[in-house]
Amino acid sequence: MKEALYQTFSLTGLLWLSVSIIGYIMALWVNKKCKGHPLAHPIVVTTLVVSIGLSLTDTSVIEYQQSASLLHWLLGPITVALALPIYRQWNKLKHYGWRLMVSIAFGGILAPFTAWLTLFALDAPYAIQITMLAKSITTPLAMESSALVGGIPALAAVFVIVTGVVGAIVATGMFAILNVQNRQAQGIAMGTVAHAIGTAKAIQMGEDVAAMATLGLCVNGIFTALALPVIFGFFV
Amino acid sequence: MRDVRNTIVGAVLVFAAYYLGLVIVNVSYLPIPGPLMGLFLLLAMLFVFPQLEVHTARFVTFPLKHMPLLFIPAVLGVSIYWADIQTNALAIAIAIILTTSISLGVTAWFAQYLFNSKSGGDSEVASKKVERK
Repeated sequence: MKEALYQTFSLTGLLWLSVSIIGYIMALWVNKKCKGHPLAHPIVVTTLVVSIGLSLTDTSVIEYQQSASLLHWLLGPITVALALPIYRQWNKLKHYGWRLMVSIAFGGILAPFTAWLTLFALDAPYAIQITMLAKSITTPLAMESSALVGGIPALAAVFVIVTGVVGAIVATGMFAILNVQNRQAQGIAMGTVAHAIGTAKAIQMGEDVAAMATLGLCVNGIFTALALPVIFGFFV
Repeated sequence: MRDVRNTIVGAVLVFAAYYLGLVIVNVSYLPIPGPLMGLFLLLAMLFVFPQLEVHTARFVTFPLKHMPLLFIPAVLGVSIYWADIQTNALAIAIAIILTTSISLGVTAWFAQYLFNSKSGGDSEVASKKVERK
């Protein structure tokens, strides 16, 4: 943390921190203009703005990461903060009981397993296969747990975000094809498979859908982050 | 003034849980991410002292809402692995697009099946305010 603060109060640190924040504010505006379309997710637009800034000033990504390390460091404490939404949804968790847990576990295993199987069958490198296992959980947990099992945290972040965007785009169509009308079930699937970006989409679909998505997001994030290192501890 | 005090108390709670989580994981060699341990500590604390929910909420609501900003350095880091991604572009695209779509649909279908099998239907439970991410 000392390093992060030291970087922040250097001139380049302040510069890139400001660029990131301004880019993010622009991204929020774009997202509003596009009525919250998943492709206009703030992460996508902010990344674009910052990349343009980097290439204009001929700054390398590594320099940027050092300058903006405060942002990266904050991912740890923000993971801790997820305790609040879990606490607030606790009554729902108890109400739906094992049905909810089994649904989340089902999606939480199906999504990474099928993705891993695809990479395994197509002979992708081991590190990428391992990283893909964390694709359906919220970014801070995905980065931490992929680092623990020998994956690549930066790749995990990108896989997670692309997964979320894809999930949010296809959700309505997939629910129509499979005739899923139950709004709670829709919410669970969005949060479990497409984490925070799916949850953002669920918020547009209604408060009841969003509540279930939040539960799916938090519970699956915890399950996967707990399970991955333990499974790899046994088998590798 | 009380808001400021609540925010500070909330900040102390979150950071205390965070650092305590890191210490516990380091000392015990538990194979889980330190921040996850911190999450459990904070959750346990909220159950033991429900009155601290107000303070925690004061501090975390704003950063939770704007969490995407914190991912930017990590996401840009992917350019370092660009060559690896390009060589495996097809596999990665299938793994993400196809399996995410199928998993999403099948999970929702499965959840609907389980919920519909519950006798008494799924009456709306009185829930607290929906928390945004």
